[in-house]
Amino acid sequence: MKKKLMFILFVSLTFLLSFGPNLFAEEGVTDTEIHIGQWGPQTGPAAAWGAVARGTGDYFKWINDNGGINGRKLVYHMFDDGYNPAKTKAGVKELQEGTGMFAWASGVGTSPGLAVKDYFAKKNIPWVGPASGSKEFVNPPQKNLFAVYPLYEGEAKVLVKYAIETMGKKRIAIGYLNDGYGKNGLRGALSSLKAHGMESVAEVPFEAKDSDLKPHIMKLRQAKPDMVLLWVTPGQAAKVVGISKAMKFDTQFMSTSTCSDFIFMNYITKGAWEGVITATFGEVPDSKLPLMAKYKEEVFGKYAAKEERWGIFYYAGILFVEPMIEGLKNAGRDLTREKFITAMENIKGFKGIGPEVNYTPYKKGDIYSRQGTSQTFLVQCLKGGESKQLTGLMSTK
Amino acid sequence: MEYGSEQKNTGGHGHFNKEGIMIDFIQMIVSGVATGSTYALMGLAMVIIYKTSEVPNFAQGEMALITSYFAMMLLTTMNISVYLAFFLSFVFAAILGAFLEFAILRRAKEPNVLGMIVITIGIEMIILGFVSWKFGAEQKVMPFPIGPYDGFIVGDIYISKLDVLTLISALLFMIVLYLFFKFSKLGLAMKATQQNSVAAQIVGIRTNRIMMLTWGISSLVGATAGLLIAPTAMQPFMMWDPMLKGFAAAVMGGMTSLPGAVIAAYMLGIIENLFGGYISIEFKTVVAFVIIVLVLCIKPSGLFARHYVKKV
Repeated sequence: MKKKLMFILFVSLTFLLSFGPNLFAEEGVTDTEIHIGQWGPQTGPAAAWGAVARGTGDYFKWINDNGGINGRKLVYHMFDDGYNPAKTKAGVKELQEGTGMFAWASGVGTSPGLAVKDYFAKKNIPWVGPASGSKEFVNPPQKNLFAVYPLYEGEAKVLVKYAIETMGKKRIAIGYLNDGYGKNGLRGALSSLKAHGMESVAEVPFEAKDSDLKPHIMKLRQAKPDMVLLWVTPGQAAKVVGISKAMKFDTQFMSTSTCSDFIFMNYITKGAWEGVITATFGEVPDSKLPLMAKYKEEVFGKYAAKEERWGIFYYAGILFVEPMIEGLKNAGRDLTREKFITAMENIKGFKGIGPEVNYTPYKKGDIYSRQGTSQTFLVQCLKGGESKQLTGLMSTK
Repeated sequence: MEYGSEQKNTGGHGHFNKEGIMIDFIQMIVSGVATGSTYALMGLAMVIIYKTSEVPNFAQGEMALITSYFAMMLLTTMNISVYLAFFLSFVFAAILGAFLEFAILRRAKEPNVLGMIVITIGIEMIILGFVSWKFGAEQKVMPFPIGPYDGFIVGDIYISKLDVLTLISALLFMIVLYLFFKFSKLGLAMKATQQNSVAAQIVGIRTNRIMMLTWGISSLVGATAGLLIAPTAMQPFMMWDPMLKGFAAAVMGGMTSLPGAVIAAYMLGIIENLFGGYISIEFKTVVAFVIIVLVLCIKPSGLFARHYVKKV
């Protein structure tokens, strides 16, 4: 009987010990792997932004081939949500509750991101770098969520400020997408105008599915603006600028960082994008920054698919998760979510290919405890899609 | 020229001087006609199929889409002339339409209209998925002899060359197709197939071939719209709006009337532009569908179709 009991005890102990490291490890972390999830539209109307998720995937491959993080490899789980919040929600739940992610990286879009924000918060699952500059991600701040993208509202403020103070513009009109993204831009622009004692001369809403944009252009033109701020999709912005120029509606166009891929914008407008000024959340594609050149050669050159382009959305997929990698490194080998969050909170003056990133310990009501970047700079499109940097880094606060 | 004002422009058109108001009004009409031309081409394509099979083809937009990408592929990879590429694309479109009818729709077992509609939606999704996978989702530029923003200014009114070409194409197709259905033997055979396919078969009409031909012609008309839209917005979802509005125009026109679909398309284009300009730009897109609901409530057979009652 005693022998039998000893045998059962031995087998049970062996069984338990064989699973030991996993039993006590954090969800999504094994002895050799860290599981990270992301969604990104590879199909659907926003599929052009799907390059963000592919950029992150290639960056993770590069990290793994260069030794991984603290002896572990990153296992990347990406799914196509088609920019459909319902699909984002279902996909996130499936991966989180089926496979178990340690954390989530980036994720394109305001609406898809907001659809899962509360789910992550409830489970305290870390999420770094949502691919959106909407204020809703950090206002109010959440302990688990670290934003990297400069706020759209701040971008709009900076653009309007530059138009008024540096370019002497007096009649500013705003064309905005009638959703969270567009309204964030509108809000920022209006607050900057107010701060200068001015009002917009026109506010024209666009719907995402609008393809005939001449009525919108007419509305803008009627107001006789000397600057038009466009907070719409890249395709719509291209059409507005192209048709406006053809209509001899001669004004200065400015736009958001989502339209700052000048090579692409210049290509689809057949050169009409020349002269447009945008904010940007990171280096320009032809930047001389050594780290950009390194990523271009070692990440894009080695891992990107043949049809991939070194565009701003592709390397944004790297930019948005650079702080996450820094946090994972600093959290050490004994990785838990709490340690990772603390490591993220300790990131100060981090510089990758985007603006400087700073976080502070979680403080209720302080959006900048979780909004890591608060700077942007302005660029102007030149002939052939080349870019000219107009300003140094400007505060978006 | 002064046509602006100091008044903020948030919804209504504000107070402008008379000349400015007139220019804006004419520009809206011109833009409406241009937009309506695209809807007209899509509406015509849908009516052709509906005339023979009583099935609204929801794959019409994507059939035009894949033809446009086929043209772009020819132009960018094979380096052939634009005219030859477009000719080959029209051939491709006609074969594609005929093939879909032959290989998919004809195979449907004991089909009813609802089943056929679902099949066309399925085809639409398959083609859309294929185009996104094969060519990527990023916007592209179709090499075209006319630039996307080429145009001329007539007395401060901007007229796009592409829009003029679309207008001419729509009117030309309408006239040719109208004459074809009215006077050619084949056209009459198509009409007979729609009205009573069994009787048509009894009198020797090969209804299967007629159906195949109809799909081929319809695909070709739709492809024209696709090829004319592609220079300004070449991406996988470029045909969604024109297809829906073309369908709306076809319904408004009565689904079986070619001139009806075209007139309704121009009405939609102009109303949308004027509504956007003077009433509410936010509801500009919705107004087309509000009009359809009203038309269908007041005159269910559409504005321009004769109402047939089948006698048992």
